[in-house]
Amino acid sequence: MESKKRQPHGRYITIALICLGVLLAILVALFVREYFVLRHANIINRRGLSFPAFIQKHGPLNASEVGVIRPWMTFDYINRLFALPKDYLKDQLDISDPHYPNDTIGNYSSANKITDVAAVADVQNAIINYFNKDAF
Amino acid sequence: MGSLLNVLLSYLLVYRYAALAFVVYIGAVGAPLPVNEALLALGAFASQGYFSFWGSLALSIVANCLGDLTGYAIARRYGDRILRALHIRKARFFTNLEEELRSDAAITVFTTRFAGSLSSVTNLLAGLVKVPLSTFILYDFIANVIEPGVALGIGYVVGNYWDDFSNFFTIIAGIVAVSVIMFVLIRMQRKIAKKYG
Repeated sequence: MESKKRQPHGRYITIALICLGVLLAILVALFVREYFVLRHANIINRRGLSFPAFIQKHGPLNASEVGVIRPWMTFDYINRLFALPKDYLKDQLDISDPHYPNDTIGNYSSANKITDVAAVADVQNAIINYFNKDAF
Repeated sequence: MGSLLNVLLSYLLVYRYAALAFVVYIGAVGAPLPVNEALLALGAFASQGYFSFWGSLALSIVANCLGDLTGYAIARRYGDRILRALHIRKARFFTNLEEELRSDAAITVFTTRFAGSLSSVTNLLAGLVKVPLSTFILYDFIANVIEPGVALGIGYVVGNYWDDFSNFFTIIAGIVAVSVIMFVLIRMQRKIAKKYG
């Protein structure tokens, strides 16, 4: 009785452990689900990561991969990602902001009063045109 | 991807290493920032040649350690006064946590580096119970090499696929954090059971 009186918080720790155990089980289930999502997308194969694909993916991207572009990206980063000439996007999108290329697509969309989706589409089209022009 | 992470990534790309140091430091002090996800992305940026991998790792380690030391130092200097004002000192759970930290400072400091926000709480407690500075620094440093190293390394390997991996990585980090918290609580419970029979 005396020991029980002295350790009511022992019960609270047990309750906390049970709750954490349930949380852990949920996280493990999510982990398994996410693993199969990545397997389905062929990012992970049965043996592990698809290394040949990853090694390729470390190089500059091409026109078919413009889907990676996001509003948080800067033009400088996109130039590096797609190996574009430094002022190509500035000329194509008529950007006059002196912060270019250290400016984000999000800021470009705000400055031009267009949505982020429209701004990303503008950048994607400019990049596709660059690679199509190169192809010819 | 969360809007907070988007903002962090923009700052990282614009202000680069200064932003990295600031974000990691503030996250270590206790701000609820998605630092691990940002480091995952940074690893990918490094694989693309936009950041230096080793420079980013070194800076992350230093900023993390400084952030942890900030919490430790503040608690060590002002902690007693704050606890007295809040009347927390005598709470039984708090004294048990203090005992846990005093008796196994090294393992507690090391393991809680991987437990998200518990890391910041441990920094404060370590300062309060006056864990020796050398012990705190050593085990904090070792864990702070591993944690950002893993995030940056995974980001570097997966490269342009980092966004696809972000959820996977967050879930793994969550599993590790919950496991560490359970580990610490189980140790506390065993000590309580041993103490009170």
